[in-house]
Amino acid sequence: MATQPAAPSRPTLRITPRRVLVHVLLSAGALLMLFPFYWMVSTSFKSLEEASQFPPTLWPSHWLPQNYVEAWNNAPFGRYLVNTLFVAVAQTISVIITGALAAYAFARMEFPGKNAIFLAFLGTMMIPLEVILVPNFIILKQLGWYNSYFALIVPWSANVFSIFLLRQFFLSIPRELYDAAEMDGCSRFGFLWRIALPMSKPALVTVSLLVFLGAWNSLLWPLIVTGSEDMRVLQVGLSAFQSDARVQYHLWMAAATFTLLPVVGLYLFAQRYFIESVAGSGVKG
Amino acid sequence: MARLVLNAVTKQFGAVTAVAGVSLEVADREFLVLVGPSGCGKTTLLRMIAGLEEPTAGDILIGDRRVNDVASRDRDVAVVFQNYALYPHMTVFDNMAFPLKMRHVDRPSIVRQVQEAADLLSIGHLLKRRPRELSGGERQRVALGRAIVRQPQVFLMDEPLSNLDAKLRVQTRTELVKLQRRLGATVVYVTHDQSEAMTMADRIAVLDHGVLQQVASPDTIYAHPANTFVGGFFGTPGMNFCAGRIVAGEGGRVFESALGRWLLPAALAAAVESGQEVVAGLRPEHLALATAADVTGRFEATVDLVETLGSEKLLHLSAGGETLVARVGPDTAVRNGASITCTADLSRLQLFDATTGDALC
Amino acid sequence: MLSAVRTRLARQGTSYLYLLPAFAVLLAFHFLPLLYAFYVSLFNWRIRQGPFLGLQNYADILTDPDFWDSLKVTFYFAAGVIPTTLVLSFLIAYALFRVTRGRAVYRLVYFLPYVTATVAVALVWRWIFHAQYGVLNWMLGFAGLPPQQWLLEPRGVVELALGAAGVAVPEWAAGPSLALVSIIIFTVWHGLGFAIVVMLAGLSNIPSELYDAAKVDGAGEWSLLRHVTIPMMSPTLFFVSVVSTIGAFQSFNSIYVMTDPAHGGPLGTTRNATMYIFLNFFEFTKLGYASAAAFILFLIIMGLTLFQMRVLGPRVHYQ
Repeated sequence: MATQPAAPSRPTLRITPRRVLVHVLLSAGALLMLFPFYWMVSTSFKSLEEASQFPPTLWPSHWLPQNYVEAWNNAPFGRYLVNTLFVAVAQTISVIITGALAAYAFARMEFPGKNAIFLAFLGTMMIPLEVILVPNFIILKQLGWYNSYFALIVPWSANVFSIFLLRQFFLSIPRELYDAAEMDGCSRFGFLWRIALPMSKPALVTVSLLVFLGAWNSLLWPLIVTGSEDMRVLQVGLSAFQSDARVQYHLWMAAATFTLLPVVGLYLFAQRYFIESVAGSGVKG
Repeated sequence: MARLVLNAVTKQFGAVTAVAGVSLEVADREFLVLVGPSGCGKTTLLRMIAGLEEPTAGDILIGDRRVNDVASRDRDVAVVFQNYALYPHMTVFDNMAFPLKMRHVDRPSIVRQVQEAADLLSIGHLLKRRPRELSGGERQRVALGRAIVRQPQVFLMDEPLSNLDAKLRVQTRTELVKLQRRLGATVVYVTHDQSEAMTMADRIAVLDHGVLQQVASPDTIYAHPANTFVGGFFGTPGMNFCAGRIVAGEGGRVFESALGRWLLPAALAAAVESGQEVVAGLRPEHLALATAADVTGRFEATVDLVETLGSEKLLHLSAGGETLVARVGPDTAVRNGASITCTADLSRLQLFDATTGDALC
Repeated sequence: MLSAVRTRLARQGTSYLYLLPAFAVLLAFHFLPLLYAFYVSLFNWRIRQGPFLGLQNYADILTDPDFWDSLKVTFYFAAGVIPTTLVLSFLIAYALFRVTRGRAVYRLVYFLPYVTATVAVALVWRWIFHAQYGVLNWMLGFAGLPPQQWLLEPRGVVELALGAAGVAVPEWAAGPSLALVSIIIFTVWHGLGFAIVVMLAGLSNIPSELYDAAKVDGAGEWSLLRHVTIPMMSPTLFFVSVVSTIGAFQSFNSIYVMTDPAHGGPLGTTRNATMYIFLNFFEFTKLGYASAAAFILFLIIMGLTLFQMRVLGPRVHYQ
């Protein structure tokens, strides 16, 4: 059979008025998407006077990179960053561990009640955050975990979607591989550790990105379970900074910019993985 | 129905030439099969006729009208796709009615025409079903029905049988040809299966790497292939080839090869010259065990393998470093490893130029 | 024989061990809290557990005009976000799908807002919406329109629009406040990338042969869209619709960061149901009350989801 083109076939280089229009519209949309970022960065270099000017200037007349230093020093952003990084990494690692173990059990092992338990796991995905907010608050307080890393990490150290994803992946590994390993004397755990996991790198990357991003951008949960300034994560800290810094818009923008930089950098670097991970978390087969 | 003319049609995808200057005429009501190995450009050619692909050069005329700049929907052609391309969300009836609906045919006419086509293909009982509820053969008929319903000038079929199981395929082949005769339709049919081409075509157009090799009736293609490619492509098992040279000998020109020296029949001898490097082609059925009466075309061979097929036997031979296959009768008593003397029917010998592969006679 | 059974039991036992960590976490912090939340909602729970109230909390909520206002805000918000997201994401994905050059770059740009944290980008948008120094008011000036209060504007958009034309509008028809609409704009901007990417994936899954067949059958641009693209996209459209609905009804981040510190917005016109729950929990420490409200919201969302599945589900064509 001759090869079929993948997209609907169309002439390769025709410049029709319609195509130009489509590109113009898409570009306009893209500019709208990007404009806030541009505005954020350009305002972050302005002085307060210039930032508070009306009509606003499109471009800083004087560049003040010291805004960044001032914003950074205005609140313990270093601490916020460390907290967030720690929590995000810890969550990612725990989710992978709990997820891989559970997914492996669901994919490869037989035990009574397997299907029922799996459905129960899936059921927890339907539980909305606002319902479990209050009881978790009470529970965490009673455990003495309030305002600690435990409260930020442990409740999110297992993630059903990740279990689902990893299970799919493990299921796709041919049974014969498993049988051959068993003939060779490999234990079940050994198979998981030496064979299944190394083969699942794409799925692991997907899971890691999703969990990391979720932890990094998280606001509501940390807001509820932490109380002191030194335990704040980035988003909570930024939000507090916003109200503390009152009308210092130029500092707002600087702070916003540097809190966004890590994620945007990661996004640009690994954009394909990013987009496919997040989209994949949505599209069910 | 109408005739179809292709004039030096070329298609390039960047640096790759998929179709190279194909010129072809399909007569009104003719069943033309476009055949060749995977990647030879036959599907691309078909898509260009349908208007789904634009030719880089050349003209396409349907019913004597140049259609290069005419959109698919206005070319009055119908396509039966390899994977049927049935609209999964519509019933069989709606699938078949769709082209008529697009042409704003009134509802009563639509119902009538769809019913007619459905009856013709014996799928009237499936009209309310959805494609996913149908078997492969049924889906194929629906795809056919959708094409028939429009009564187009030309039917284009892209390997429509390749997704059917072997038995159904053979059965449907005959039905398709009968249908074509009944409708008086002009059909261009694409396949990679040479036996399909042989059994179905009025004429066969052979394509290789985008270049048209030969256009002729199945008999001609089989008996007088235009080059070694065509010779080797058709027939199961394929044509035997043996390289050699023409020398002058007593009685005329002689074909000299590892198999021996054969005196060429007059007709063949006239087409070649002494000293010419040639490739000889012989079909397996034109090799036989030599009897005392056979004077020319003799050669010694060792039997490597005997394949017993019931109705015949295939002998895989080694002779002078060449490997050949001979098709002999079922009662032939030969054993593996035996040394035998064979004879070639020189009246059926095909000679090809050793460099170009083109037929010399 | 017995040892074989024992081995099998032992293996099964260890299987449960593999599940244990995940199971423990989900049980302790997700499933049990769900039950516990209901328990809490039955009490007058402040910092400590108070007297048993039965369903009194629920009754109080259902008679609280603020709660109904918050539901109204939630519905306005959803009505603004969901259709806009669906239509825009479909159009943009459709356009992107037809474009071969630069598709990757466009996708990169359109998806960017989605990966950024709400708090950070909200700062910019608050600045863009600023009543005195904001860029939007500046642009309005070019169009000859008066500057708006945006996030501080409690008046409804319908009232504002018609009011400018001199038409008086009764209170119930005033529409969502401009403040809420501003937040809607922000939310759509932020979430569009996700919807676009999902739509794009759905479009890519349509076999190109169907388009070929339809073209040969005589379908023009519009017919292709109507008879091939949209029916084939129906699972994706359904999915985005359901997910958007759940997201819009639960939305918290957008509103919290755009209306700090009041959180209710101008005259409470941006206080949606989730914010109502949050405020009762965090500010007024009425834990039992907040729990009850959360359950009511949960039931509403579940009802809506079931409704969508019941009504829209059957119309989805799966291949």
